[in-house]
Amino acid sequence: MSSQNTLSRELALRIGLAARALPDTDAKRLFTVLTDCVGLPITEDKLTGLNLKTFKSAQDGEFSDLDDVTLKSALHILKHQVEAAGTLKPKIIDFNEGDMPGSVRIAVASDDNINVNGHFGSCAQFMIYQVSADEIRLIDIRGTAIPAGLEVDDKNVFRAELIQDCQVLYLTSVGGPAAAKIVRLGIHPIKLPSVESIIEVVGQLQGVIAGTPPPWLAKAMGIESADRFRFEREAIG
Amino acid sequence: MALYIVEADCISCGDCEPVCPTNSITEGSIVFKIDKKTCTECEGDFDVPQCVKVCPIDNCILPLEA
Repeated sequence: MSSQNTLSRELALRIGLAARALPDTDAKRLFTVLTDCVGLPITEDKLTGLNLKTFKSAQDGEFSDLDDVTLKSALHILKHQVEAAGTLKPKIIDFNEGDMPGSVRIAVASDDNINVNGHFGSCAQFMIYQVSADEIRLIDIRGTAIPAGLEVDDKNVFRAELIQDCQVLYLTSVGGPAAAKIVRLGIHPIKLPSVESIIEVVGQLQGVIAGTPPPWLAKAMGIESADRFRFEREAIG
Repeated sequence: MALYIVEADCISCGDCEPVCPTNSITEGSIVFKIDKKTCTECEGDFDVPQCVKVCPIDNCILPLEA
């Protein structure tokens, strides 16, 4: 393993964040373009000297169809120190009951605000999203620390009750007895086989909601079965 | 006598299919379903219906009335 080609944590983070600022771009695609721009190893100094023109034309104009404003904002991220985690907190938007008809509320076990990477019993927080066919809204982030002075008999019940208002829970691992406690509260746990970004997972769910949701999900969305049949008939007719 | 699967609750996990001693459970177009002609509620094979035992959802598999 040559240390020449490894990225510092800081740079890896910058590249990841910059890729998110570009449409249809993952870190790998951006990395390929940057390698073409400045060569390996990619260093902070080299990125500081990178200009828009080089960035846009690199790798046979990989990014040439993107507008300058988008590219500039990506360059800005690449060239500047990532701010402390506190300020990276995503923006929470208020949600009032009835705002999004035909939506489901989901909880995501996450330790970094970006990925579904939490274990139910140990994740630092649950991110709460309201998801409908045409909107995804982050409505809350709930820390899992037990408040000082509060006696908790069962940590897993405490955690499940934190997200009692949600219909679906995404996580990467959960024990059997804990899963049973989650299900008992009417929350449907979904365990992912590997870590995936929240955006991707929620996007997939949105696709299902917009299409033909399975009956249990339709029920969670508050669609009565009579309506479901009506929809099916409309779809056929 | 037979059991049926409540369509609105079944999550299509498929856990019930292999445990049925009479092979009465199959995946339908929407969710799993039980063939009421062959379902015995496991009488003669087990003390309790095996599909109910393994189903992760409460009250998802119920006896057919009459």
